[in-house]
Amino acid sequence: MKTLPTLRDKKRYMAFEVMSEQVISRAELSHEIFASACSLFGDTGCSDINFSLLSYDGKYGIVRCVRGKTKEMRAALACITKVRGTRISILAVGISGTIKGAMEKFIQQTLINKSEPDKEYK
Amino acid sequence: MALFDGKFYDFYTHPAPGNGVALMAAVAKKYGYSGIAVTNPTANDQDIVDIADKTGDFSIFQVFEIPAKRAKLRDEIKKHKEDAGILIVKGADEYLTREAVETEGLDILLQPQKFNNVLAKIASDNSVTLGFNIGSIIHTRGEARVRELVLMRANLKHARKYGIQMILTCDSHSHYDIRSPREMAALSGLIGMTEKEAFDAMSTTPLGILRKKSPDYVQEGIEIL
Repeated sequence: MKTLPTLRDKKRYMAFEVMSEQVISRAELSHEIFASACSLFGDTGCSDINFSLLSYDGKYGIVRCVRGKTKEMRAALACITKVRGTRISILAVGISGTIKGAMEKFIQQTLINKSEPDKEYK
Repeated sequence: MALFDGKFYDFYTHPAPGNGVALMAAVAKKYGYSGIAVTNPTANDQDIVDIADKTGDFSIFQVFEIPAKRAKLRDEIKKHKEDAGILIVKGADEYLTREAVETEGLDILLQPQKFNNVLAKIASDNSVTLGFNIGSIIHTRGEARVRELVLMRANLKHARKYGIQMILTCDSHSHYDIRSPREMAALSGLIGMTEKEAFDAMSTTPLGILRKKSPDYVQEGIEIL
């Protein structure tokens, strides 16, 4: 049976960008996020954050968490340094209240900005 | 969040020789930093630092990390005091930490392992900035991380009580180790630092140190018009 709409947790969707030496699979990343969050906040802390990896294409992804726990989610993502011996760094690009918002505002917009010629550091 | 629109600096990086400085600078710029400081730059890194100074878009500074050795510490700080680079001492035991904070001219004391009210008072009097190494939270797990968090919480209490300026660094050795200012603020929140404190530690305090190191600076409260 579904949870009543008024009893549902308010959610936030965090768009992130992965910078890694090799491409990381979705399962590996999901496992690593869980390991990182569990190591940092413990089991009860993880249940408070109530996160799950929604989408990931090898470079950009969206993770869902409870509203008011975005700071913890960001910290858990920042603590990921290695996946299967591959060095990795995750940057939270932005937070939105809807998946569509996160996708359009942060991921697609980032891709559009990247396609435009950018001044490189000399 | 308008708080994170300012200029941010990381004053403790160790880029790899070769194109490490350029790569790290590019990633730092992408992440929203306005400048980084290279620790003990080599001759090759020095060229890149000079080029960055001329372009003015993104700043690269020099940091001299004084090795915490009993005999040389005071002399080394005095020797580099007049240099343009920022002086950092990585906190070691209580005796060396005391020697470091007592010597005039030190800019940053990074993550002291033993810090107490006496040292905090001296550091506050000598305008020494207290550094928090967020990299130690990122790169350790389990018991080691717990120890680091306990240490940083204690240091934060002392810094708040004695009004010591704070600075945040992620102690990056490659471009994969850099974290954006928002991530740094989130991680500093784990030790109880507020967002305003984190912002000051990455923006206001570094800008103050840079002002102190500029050739125009005379003394606190004195300005040449």
